Amino acid sequence: MVTAPLIRTLHMGKRYKLASGDLPALIDVNLQIDEQEFIAIMGPSGSGKSTFMNLLGCLDVPSEGEYLLKGIPVSSMSVNERAGLRNALIGFVFQGYNLLPRLSAVDNVTLPLVYAGIGSRERERRARELLVQVGLENYMDFLPAQLSGGQQQRVAIARALVNNAPLLLADEPTGNLDSRTSEEILAIFERLNREKRLTIVLVTHEPDIAAHARRLIRFHDGRIVEDGPAAGVRALRRAVS
Amino acid sequence: MIYSELLHESWRAMRVNRMRTVLTMLGMIIGVGAVVAMLAVGNGARQSVNAVISSMGSNMLIVISGARTSGGLRFATGSTPTLHLSDADAIRGLPGVSTVSPGSGGGAQIVYATNNWSTVVLGTNPDYLKIRDWSLLAGNGFSSNDMRTAARVAIIGQTVALNLFGDANPVGRTIRISNSPYTVIGLLSAKGQSFGGQDQDDTVLVPISTAQRKLFGTQLADTVRYIMVQADGPELLTPVQEEVDALLRQRHHIGDKQDPDFDIRNLTELANAAASTTRIMSLLLGLIASISLIVGGIGIMNIMLVSVTERTREVGLRMAVGARPKDVLEQFLTEAILVSIGGCAIGLVLGVVSTLIVNQLFAMHSVVTTGSVVIAFAVSVAVGVFFGFYPARKASMLQPIEALRYQ
Repeated sequence: MVTAPLIRTLHMGKRYKLASGDLPALIDVNLQIDEQEFIAIMGPSGSGKSTFMNLLGCLDVPSEGEYLLKGIPVSSMSVNERAGLRNALIGFVFQGYNLLPRLSAVDNVTLPLVYAGIGSRERERRARELLVQVGLENYMDFLPAQLSGGQQQRVAIARALVNNAPLLLADEPTGNLDSRTSEEILAIFERLNREKRLTIVLVTHEPDIAAHARRLIRFHDGRIVEDGPAAGVRALRRAVS
Repeated sequence: MIYSELLHESWRAMRVNRMRTVLTMLGMIIGVGAVVAMLAVGNGARQSVNAVISSMGSNMLIVISGARTSGGLRFATGSTPTLHLSDADAIRGLPGVSTVSPGSGGGAQIVYATNNWSTVVLGTNPDYLKIRDWSLLAGNGFSSNDMRTAARVAIIGQTVALNLFGDANPVGRTIRISNSPYTVIGLLSAKGQSFGGQDQDDTVLVPISTAQRKLFGTQLADTVRYIMVQADGPELLTPVQEEVDALLRQRHHIGDKQDPDFDIRNLTELANAAASTTRIMSLLLGLIASISLIVGGIGIMNIMLVSVTERTREVGLRMAVGARPKDVLEQFLTEAILVSIGGCAIGLVLGVVSTLIVNQLFAMHSVVTTGSVVIAFAVSVAVGVFFGFYPARKASMLQPIEALRYQ
């Protein structure tokens, strides 16, 4: 192996200590995710999807096993080191957008660059460039409250991309959007995956959305119960053969 | 995070909640305003006490004729003239003594034209004005010739001049003191109230020889009521006092264990006591005022805690995109310090304005010193850090996952 895969988990697990005893939220996850993959994560609530995403996003550390991000073992890192890792390698897109209400679209996008220590002029240049890429060239200085749900999510995507992170984690990014807007957002994801070689891990409840991915991982009771090509890919293969 | 970034962020947060920011500042505004005004007023009070003290004369001892004991009865201090002019001359020869002025006087009726006025006539020598640091507004002091010949000349105080002459220049006029004519040769400048509240300008000075021989005609020719002694410097006051005591005991044939027939009073001691009283008073005022600073600080802490709770999701998001706990801590701390410094700045203005108002209302000369401004500023920064730290630390210890989920 010349270069480490983007993500590698070795018997990764997470237990939450509760008063009533240990709650295993994630059990023995072994997988590898390479660059430019587009993965959909599915599963019922409480199946461990969110725990898995939190671990991938370095927001939490596994209680068992190991998680290697670009070959770096995350569980042995300090809080500050993980913050730096999130800043440099990971972009987050949330269901609720999580934009700061008092900041304009541009200022929201620049936020990760503030913590990367980049000067304000360069920050603004990059943010404007990305907002153009997600089709918001006319809404740069709008406040989140003045934007529609779809527009807000695009601002959030621009924010996730502004640091040129190789990994984008999207937790039900279309959960609050209507189907047409959802398609638009997914079109952006697909384009980024294709053109920018971005690795995307996307949690969703909807099979339609999952069909855009190329790989599907299904969780149940904290374990991976399915890991294979997504429905769209299967349909494509069927059509070809 | 870079400091300009922190300031910018904090400014933005403060501007969003303008009303709340102003209300939070109010505690600091009142606190700093009170501290600055109180220190200024305390300072002004001390200065006016100092002015009164220096009007009495500096580095001064007063030797007063002592209490006489007659058949077991003890008479009041000064009731018996035991001091003599020769005592004054002897004291003048002591080391460390710069000026000596004997005094002897009493009440007398003064008449000029149709006006008359009852006042204290004091027989003294030319050094009296020097010791009392008293200048003449017009005319001259006593000459040595006046002293030697017991001339009928007088120097009058402002109050006497006003009552006898009105606005007219009294120098050169002739007044009658106890029915004898005296030429007014000088007019004293105004000195105001004494420490005990007496009008120091209500006085007439004549040469001591005149007072003794012509005006009051004391039974014992050259006795004086008191002798003012000025030392060369404040540090010499105590040694001079001891020397004078020893000298007068020797001259009056009084043993070390006996009660002396004179009394030495150190006015500077009295003055220092008064000065330290005002200092304690102003310190106390400042202390009470600084309690309001602490209350203001608690107000800041309170609002910062609310703000942290309100912005939990924001903190979560900032952490998700790469903010370290230290960055979050700094951000909230900066905000607390900015609120506190802002309040301090407005409070300073308020303090200065209220000092000016107090000056106007009570005719004081309170001055806001640079020291109190610096102290107020330093304290408010400290208050911001102290009371901002707990909320900021609370924010920095949030877990990003939980913070992001917070509704």
